Amino acid sequence: MTAALYHQLLDLTAGALLLTAVLVVWRRDLAMIIRIFAVQGVALAALVGVLAAHEGSVELAVVALGVLVLRAGVLPALLRRALAAAGDDRRETRPLVNVAASLLAAAALTLLALAVSAPIVELAPSPTTRAAPIGVAVVLIGFFVLVTRRRALSQLVGFLLMDNGITAVGFLVTSGIGLVVEVGVALDVLLVVLVLGILTGRMREVFGGTDLDELRELHD
Amino acid sequence: MVTLLAFAPILVPALGAVVHLLLGWRRATTWVGTGSAALVAVAAVLLAGQAVRAGDGVVVAGFLLVDPLSAYMLVVIGAVAVLAALATPAHLAAEIAAGRADERSAARHVVLVQAFLAAMALAVLAADLGVLWVAVEATTIVTAFLVGQRRTRTAVEAAWKYVVICSAGIALALLGIVLLNFAALHTGTGAGLGWVELTAAAGRLDPGVTRIAVVLLVLGFGAKAGLAPLHAWLPDAHSQAPAPVSALMSGVLLSVAFYAILRIKVVSDLALGPGFARGLLLAAALASLAVAASLLLHQRDHKRMLAYSSIEHMGLLALGAAVGGVAATAAVLLHVLGHGLVKSALFLGAGRLLQTTGTSRIDGVRGLATDQPLLAGCLAAGMLALVGFPPFSLFASELGIARAGFGSGVAVVGWATALALVLVVVIAAALVNHTSRMLLGDPPDAPGTATAPPRLPRSTATALVAGPVAAAALGLTAGPLAPLLTAAARTVGGAP
Amino acid sequence: MTALGVLGGALQAVLVVVGSPLLVGLMRQVRARMEGRAGAGVGQPWRDLRKLLGKQPITPRGTSELFRVAPVLLVAMTLVVAVVAPFVSTASALPPVADLIVVVALLAHGTVVLALAGLDTGTAFGGMGASRETTILALVEPTALMAIFALSVPVGSTALPAIVGSGLQDPARVLSPASLLAAVALLLVVVAETGRLPVDNPSTHLELTMVHEAMVLEYAGPDLALVELGSAMRLSVYLGLLANLFLPWGIATEAGVLALALGVLALVVKVAVLGAALAFAEVFLAKVRLFRVPELLAGSFLLALLAVTAAYFPA
Repeated sequence: MTAALYHQLLDLTAGALLLTAVLVVWRRDLAMIIRIFAVQGVALAALVGVLAAHEGSVELAVVALGVLVLRAGVLPALLRRALAAAGDDRRETRPLVNVAASLLAAAALTLLALAVSAPIVELAPSPTTRAAPIGVAVVLIGFFVLVTRRRALSQLVGFLLMDNGITAVGFLVTSGIGLVVEVGVALDVLLVVLVLGILTGRMREVFGGTDLDELRELHD
Repeated sequence: MVTLLAFAPILVPALGAVVHLLLGWRRATTWVGTGSAALVAVAAVLLAGQAVRAGDGVVVAGFLLVDPLSAYMLVVIGAVAVLAALATPAHLAAEIAAGRADERSAARHVVLVQAFLAAMALAVLAADLGVLWVAVEATTIVTAFLVGQRRTRTAVEAAWKYVVICSAGIALALLGIVLLNFAALHTGTGAGLGWVELTAAAGRLDPGVTRIAVVLLVLGFGAKAGLAPLHAWLPDAHSQAPAPVSALMSGVLLSVAFYAILRIKVVSDLALGPGFARGLLLAAALASLAVAASLLLHQRDHKRMLAYSSIEHMGLLALGAAVGGVAATAAVLLHVLGHGLVKSALFLGAGRLLQTTGTSRIDGVRGLATDQPLLAGCLAAGMLALVGFPPFSLFASELGIARAGFGSGVAVVGWATALALVLVVVIAAALVNHTSRMLLGDPPDAPGTATAPPRLPRSTATALVAGPVAAAALGLTAGPLAPLLTAAARTVGGAP
Repeated sequence: MTALGVLGGALQAVLVVVGSPLLVGLMRQVRARMEGRAGAGVGQPWRDLRKLLGKQPITPRGTSELFRVAPVLLVAMTLVVAVVAPFVSTASALPPVADLIVVVALLAHGTVVLALAGLDTGTAFGGMGASRETTILALVEPTALMAIFALSVPVGSTALPAIVGSGLQDPARVLSPASLLAAVALLLVVVAETGRLPVDNPSTHLELTMVHEAMVLEYAGPDLALVELGSAMRLSVYLGLLANLFLPWGIATEAGVLALALGVLALVVKVAVLGAALAFAEVFLAKVRLFRVPELLAGSFLLALLAVTAAYFPA
C-alpha cells in the first residue's frame, strides 16, 4: 500500500467514524440510529483493517475481523432486538437539548476534542496520531448523546459511541493495548449492553415504557 | 506458594460461584459463601505476611502483583466479605419467608456475590492497569444485577442509573488508560501498563499526554468510587441493593476503585509532580464532602443516609490522598479498613431494620432501643464510630489525615483540610441527630406491632457486633497490621 | 481574458439558458416515471415558457417597479454566473468575478430580489413566502461560506478556476474527507437554495407549506416565464458548480473544438445525472416541517465545519 493511499484510507475511515457519530445526533428514528451505528462499526473495522494492512500484521487483521463481528453485527443485532421488543414507540421525540442545538454542540465538541488532544499529536506526529483527535471527538459526542437523550436505547447508543471512539483512539495511537485487555474490554462492553438490554426489558415491565423521564422515584 | 496464595482469593470465590450455580440455594450450601469469604480472608492474611517480608512487589503469572498495598486491600476485602457473608443466610431466609425471593433468586444472589468477590480480588491483585480496568468493570456488571434484583420500580431505576453512570465513567478511564499506554510506549523503556514498569518509567512520560490521561482516570475511577461530580448513582444503588450487597459495595467496592486512584497518583506524582493530582483530588474531596453534607441535613431515608455517609468518607480518603506522604497515606489506608468494617455492619443493621419494620424512612422507625436493644446498640456503636468518636479506628485515621493536612506545609492543603473538618462536623451532627431520632423515644403503638419483633439471628448478630468491635480494637492498637500498613503506605507515599 | 474564456463563456450562457428548462423537464419526467405516471415529456417546461411569453404582461395593482424588474434581475444575475463560472472550460471570461464567494453572493442575491418582490405585492402569501425564504437563506449562508472555506483551504484561493483546476491535477484530493464533507454540505445548500425537497416542495401550491411558490404567486405572463426560467437556471448553475467542484473531469482546459465539445458533453451528462439522482431521491422524501428546517441546516453547517477542520489536517 502506498503512503498516499494509506493516508487517504485512514482519513476516509476516520471521517466516516465522525460522520456517523454526527448522524446519530441528527436522526430521531431509533431504527435509523441503530443502522447508522452499525455503519460506524463497519468504519471502525475498516480503520483497524487499514492499520493491519499497513503494518502487515495478521494479528491486527484478526482483531479487525473481531471488531467487525462485534460492532457491526452482534451489538446492532442486540439493539435491534431491544427495539423490536419496545413496540411502536420508536422515536427519540424530545431530547433534553433540541436537535439543532445538539448539532451545534457536536460541532463545538469536535473543536474541543481537537484542542484538547493537541499533546497527543505533538508527542508522536504521524498520520495515525493525527487522526486520533477524531476518535476523541466521537467519545465526546457519545457522552453528549448519553447525557441528553431520554430514551433508554438512545442512551445505550451514546455509550456505545463512546466505546467506539475509545477503541479508535486505542488503535490509532498504539495499535491496541494488549490482547488480554482487548478481549476483556470487548467482553465487558458486550456484557454491559446485555445488562442494559435486560434492564430495558424490566423497565418496560414495571414502568410500561423506556422513557427515562419515568425514572423519578429516587431523589432527595 | 505465593502463586497459589495469589490465585486463591480469585479462584475460591469463583469456585464458590460454580458450586452455587450447580447446587442452587439449599441447606447444604448455606455456608459455602461464608466459607469462601473466610478463605479469602485467610489467604489475604498469609499474602500480607509474605508481602511484608518481601517488601517489594512480586509479579505472579505475569498479570498478578502482590505487594503490601494490594495485600492490604485484600485484607480489607476479606474482612468485610466475612461480615457480609455471615449475615447473608439469615437475610435470604427472611426474604424468602417474606415472599420477596425464592430459592432461584437466592441462588442467583449468592452466585453473583461470589463472582463479585472474585472480581474485586482480581482488581486489587492486577499487575496491570488494563486488567484492573476489566476487573472493575466486571464488578459493575455483576452488581448491576444485584442492585436490580428486587425488580421493583425503584430497584430498576437504581440499577439503570448505576450501570449507565459507572460504565460511562469507567469508559472515560479506559480512554485515560489508552493515552497512558501511548505515553508509556513513547518513553522508550518498553514499559506498558504494568504497575512496576510504569512506575519505573514514570519520570519519562510525556507530561502533556499524561495530564489528559490522569484527569480521565481520576474522573473515571472517581465515578466508581462515588466521588463527586459523578456520584449520583451511589445513594440510589446503595439504598436499593439487598443489605449484604450494600455492605460489600459501600464497604469495599468504593475502596477498590479508590485503590486504583491511589496507584494512578503514584504514576502521576512521578510524571507531573505532586501538584497536579493533588489539585484534582482536593477538588473531588471538597465537592464530595459538600454534596454529602448538604444532602444529609434533611435526609429522610436511613439507607440513603448511610450511602451519603459513604460519599463523605470517600471524600476524606481523597483528601488524605491529596495530602500525600507516608503518614497521610497510612491514615487513609487505616480509614479504608475502619470504614469498611463499620459501614458494612451498619448496612447489615439497616437491612435488618428494613426487614423487621418494613420501612427505610427515618421517621418510620422510633424507639428502637426499647424494641430491639441489640440491633439498636450495634447501630449506635456503628454510628458513633462513623462520626469519628474514639476509641474507634476512624477517630485515629481522621485525626491522622487532619494532622498530615495541617502539617503539609502547602497553604491550599491546610485551608482545604480546615474546610473539610467543618463539613465533617456538620455531617456528624446530622448523622447523630437522625440516628438518635430512630433509636430513642417511645416505640410506636400502631396495631400489629404489639407482637415481639423477631429475634436477631445469631449469625447476623455476630456480624453486627464484630464490625464495630474490630474497628474499636484497631483504634486502640493496629497490632499485627502495623508493619503491613507502613509498608503499604510506603508503596504509595514513597518519599514524602 | 483569453479566447478559451470568451468562447467557453458564450457556450456556457447558451447552454444554461437552453438547457435548464430541459433539466427541469428531465427531473419532472424522472419523478413522474418513478411515481408510475407517463409524465409530460422533457420539453414541457419549454412549451410552458413559450405559452407564458406569448401572454399579455399584467401586474397587480399597487406594485412598484421593483416587482417588474425582479425577474429580469434574477435572470441577469444568474446569467452572469453562468458566463463566468468554469462549467465548460477552466478559463473564465471574467476571472475576477469567477470567485466562489462572488458567485454564491450573486446567486443569493437572486433570492433576495425575489423576496423583495414578494414583499412588494403586499399580499399575505407574498410576505409569508418572503419571510420563509429569507429565514432559510439566513440559515444556509453560513453553511455555504464554511463549505467554500473548506474547499479553498487546500488550494489557497477562492477562485473557482483554481479550485477546479487543482481538483483536476490532484484527483486524490476529491476523495479526501474534507472534500466529501463539503460536498454533502453544499448539496444541502443547493437543495435549500433551489427550493427542492425536503426543504420546499417545488410542485405544491398548498398555503401552509409552499415557500418559493408563495413568493412568486402574483406573477403572470412573460414575468412568470422569466421567474421560471431564472429558477431553472439557478438550479442548473448550482448543480453544475457542484459537479465541477467535486467531479471536475471532462472540463476543457484548452481552446479547441474537440476539447470544448467534450467539455459541453461532460457538463450535460454530469448535470443530467445529478438532476436525475436528485429527482429520484425526492420520490422517497417528504417535506420536513418548516420548524425542522433549522435542524437540517444546522446539520449541514456542522458538516461544513467538520470539512474545514478536516481541511486543516495535513494528510
